[in-house]
Amino acid sequence: MISVQQYSVTLGDFQLKDISLDIGDREIFALIGRTGSGKSVLLESLAGFYNTYGGNVLYNGISVSGIPLEQRRIGYVYQNYCLFPHMNVLDNVEFGLRMHKVPKKQRRETALNMLQSLGIEHLADRRPDTLSGGEQQRCALARALVLEPEILFMDEPFSALDPNTRKDMYRLIRSIHENYACTIVFVTHDFREAAELADRVGIIIHGSLKEICPADQLFLPHEDEEVNAFVHGRSPEPPAAMTA
Amino acid sequence: MDMKKRGRRTGAFEVVTVTAATVTVLFIFLAMAGIVIKGIPSLPEIRDSEEVRFAMKLSLWTSLVSTMICLLLGVPTAYAVTRPSFRLRRLYEVIVEIPLSVPNIMLGLSLMILFASAPGKFLSAHGFRVIFHVNGIVTAHLFVNLSFVIHMIKTTFMDMDPHLELVAGSLGAPPWKRFCLVTLPLARNAIIGAGILAWSRALGEFGATLMLVGATRMKTETLPTSIFLNMSTGDTGEALACAVILLAISGVSQLAAGLLTRSNAGRGTGVHI
Repeated sequence: MISVQQYSVTLGDFQLKDISLDIGDREIFALIGRTGSGKSVLLESLAGFYNTYGGNVLYNGISVSGIPLEQRRIGYVYQNYCLFPHMNVLDNVEFGLRMHKVPKKQRRETALNMLQSLGIEHLADRRPDTLSGGEQQRCALARALVLEPEILFMDEPFSALDPNTRKDMYRLIRSIHENYACTIVFVTHDFREAAELADRVGIIIHGSLKEICPADQLFLPHEDEEVNAFVHGRSPEPPAAMTA
Repeated sequence: MDMKKRGRRTGAFEVVTVTAATVTVLFIFLAMAGIVIKGIPSLPEIRDSEEVRFAMKLSLWTSLVSTMICLLLGVPTAYAVTRPSFRLRRLYEVIVEIPLSVPNIMLGLSLMILFASAPGKFLSAHGFRVIFHVNGIVTAHLFVNLSFVIHMIKTTFMDMDPHLELVAGSLGAPPWKRFCLVTLPLARNAIIGAGILAWSRALGEFGATLMLVGATRMKTETLPTSIFLNMSTGDTGEALACAVILLAISGVSQLAAGLLTRSNAGRGTGVHI
């Protein structure tokens, strides 16, 4: 379980203020907010990427700052996927296994199986810069998932994809969640995406976590006026499944 | 049709930039051509010159050693001063860049003061002589080139996406493996380029070397020192021949830098020097 206690971090003029939050095991949690609201900073904070901050981020009761990055058992997928440009797709996916000293034959087999399960085994020898957005996304997911992380963080993972690929990716994320039993925390600015994929949604406005609500209540009226203005001012209408 | 015509028309801006480039190229070409034209006929004169052979060997050896040390110190330093987590990085960055704006002769003077002081004398007493010694040539090259190498490589590290290392860490790579397996290969072109240019600059270094080790024939005589000594004694032919050798080495190293970085350019690293 991820537990955030009165967490604050300052980056130049921007400040993430007094965040408290609990995310359960196997939960899918969405962080939603306007551009520049601090959702990506919070996601990176949850992964423990910042050294100086106030408050605490705990994984199963242990402070994240006390766990070296390489031992945190997390997967992180950035908006631009951050594939290693000097390696091909297979080497990218094998990287984590190599770091965990998995024998060469076994890691090749595991990586190829992972590529196959994401439908990109035919891209194994390709360089990242020759792939489309959707292919890069699958590759980044394969690289993160091959280590079976306990927590998967994704920063606006679908923003660069076309609507059809995006729907495919939603299905993929659901099946990943089912098969790998991991906690998923993702950032989005798309209300429909948050409502469709997440169990709960955290709404961030100007560096503050204003409200956490079940995803199926995202489009209902909220107590906080700023949250109401944000949710109802920007979202045209809830998905059909939720209004039914 | 109209668009095509407009596309072909040469604008005033283009005329200005191309003219400036032509003047620059002519200036460099004519200056270099003078050395080549005057120096090539003198090359047979130095074919059997033991002094020139000594100077060439000393230049090649000292520049190679200083370049290796430059890279060994420069790559990690460049990395450290680009990491936001390093608290003293601003101060370090300023200090590291100072030699870039200081004349070489002054750098040599500062080294002479340093090695003539108590710590320098201590080193000398324990077998590491610098003043008027070959070690001083390497030290002078190092001092002149280190900031240059750090500056070149630092720019590449700064352009690199820092998230790549974080992702590598989340995949289980400890810090030194993130550096060796992700950062270093992506900076490969810049490091090769910086190394070749540093070597080329070291070959031609004169001011700092002169201050620290003097100009003694067949002892601390590098190729630039040889040019200086021969010009001083009126042996213009030998001086020009040495200049041609330096120019040839410089040309070859520039070509090598171009070829090596070009052969890696298609690797999709997005890193260029």
